[in-house]
Amino acid sequence: MKLRSTKQIFGTVTKSFHWVMALLVVSVFSIGWYMDLLPLGMEKLEWISRHKSLGVTVLALVTLRVVWRLSEPTPEELGKWRIERLAAKAGHLGLYLLMFAMPLTGWTMSSAANFPVSVFGLFTLPDLVAPSQELFDTLRTVHWLLSWAVAGLVSVHVLAALKHHFWDRDATLRRMLPGKYSGKIKDS
Amino acid sequence: MFLINRKMLSSLTVVATLAGFSGVATAADSWVVNADESEIEFTGTQLGAEFEGEFESFNATIVFSPDDLAGSSVEVLIDIASANTQNADRDSQIVSPDWFNVAQWPTAKFATKSFSQIAPGKYEAVADLTIRDVTREVILPFDLEIEGNKAEAEGTVTINRTDFGVGQGQWSDTSQVGDPVNIKIEIEATRP
Repeated sequence: MKLRSTKQIFGTVTKSFHWVMALLVVSVFSIGWYMDLLPLGMEKLEWISRHKSLGVTVLALVTLRVVWRLSEPTPEELGKWRIERLAAKAGHLGLYLLMFAMPLTGWTMSSAANFPVSVFGLFTLPDLVAPSQELFDTLRTVHWLLSWAVAGLVSVHVLAALKHHFWDRDATLRRMLPGKYSGKIKDS
Repeated sequence: MFLINRKMLSSLTVVATLAGFSGVATAADSWVVNADESEIEFTGTQLGAEFEGEFESFNATIVFSPDDLAGSSVEVLIDIASANTQNADRDSQIVSPDWFNVAQWPTAKFATKSFSQIAPGKYEAVADLTIRDVTREVILPFDLEIEGNKAEAEGTVTINRTDFGVGQGQWSDTSQVGDPVNIKIEIEATRP
């Protein structure tokens, strides 16, 4: 099994990033909505704590992931039409931007609320801004709107993968699955 | 019923004045706190991260002289509702029944019992701290600088909030809201 990707297939490192982060994003997203519904109490604080810690983990991983991605070849999109390949690129770029924007707005929002971010109780992140109720209210709205963008883009991402798998019957989904991919990449 | 009329009051004044003059020359001085330059701040932990706040309103009665520690005393009444942690949700929690219960106990009281000098410019106050209906003895070490008629004192003390019943019911669990709270005082006072 190869660590690095090639122009055709994904390496182990990128696959691991993809699936670990997929799990994380779904978890942080679900916790975010759940904790918002809880009444103020110990349980709510515990879930907020987890949400923040996992969110910071996403930020750390996406940073490493981008560095890794820039250091290796990126497999080409398998869409038949140029517009389809461009849409895939735009979608992926959007997902990357959101994986940065969500934790960063969350972190800034915590600073604005004078509610600093502790990462699993191990260390505390520095505050990005001075406490401000007004800024907090704005960032909370932005964070909430972006969460809908995450839901939308992740849905499109999943549907696109399934469309490639079941409709186009190409390698898009299979080459991202764990394990060695040995099928053909393109009909030619 | 004990009433003080004006005549008695003037006799009391005379007695007090006489007592004052006949007292020891080094009797401790009264100080007036400069509210703008004085602060009572606190640092708590929430979800493992520290946050800061301050009590914006408090009243201090200070009688202090380095030469007469036995005759010195400080009493501070802290207006709990003036707590500001720069988070409206948290501030509204602080005053609620589960925490300080301001409706029942609006003030916290810090009253010294004795002072001792531990080094030049460094003192220790043994005091009773009353929060809610709990009184506990605390030791507040502080640095003091007196220049002419102006004094600056700075000290910190760490207390456990649960010792005072701050955090009732589910909040007595200290995993999300930490037990130790660091209190920092910065007082600037002048003697008239």
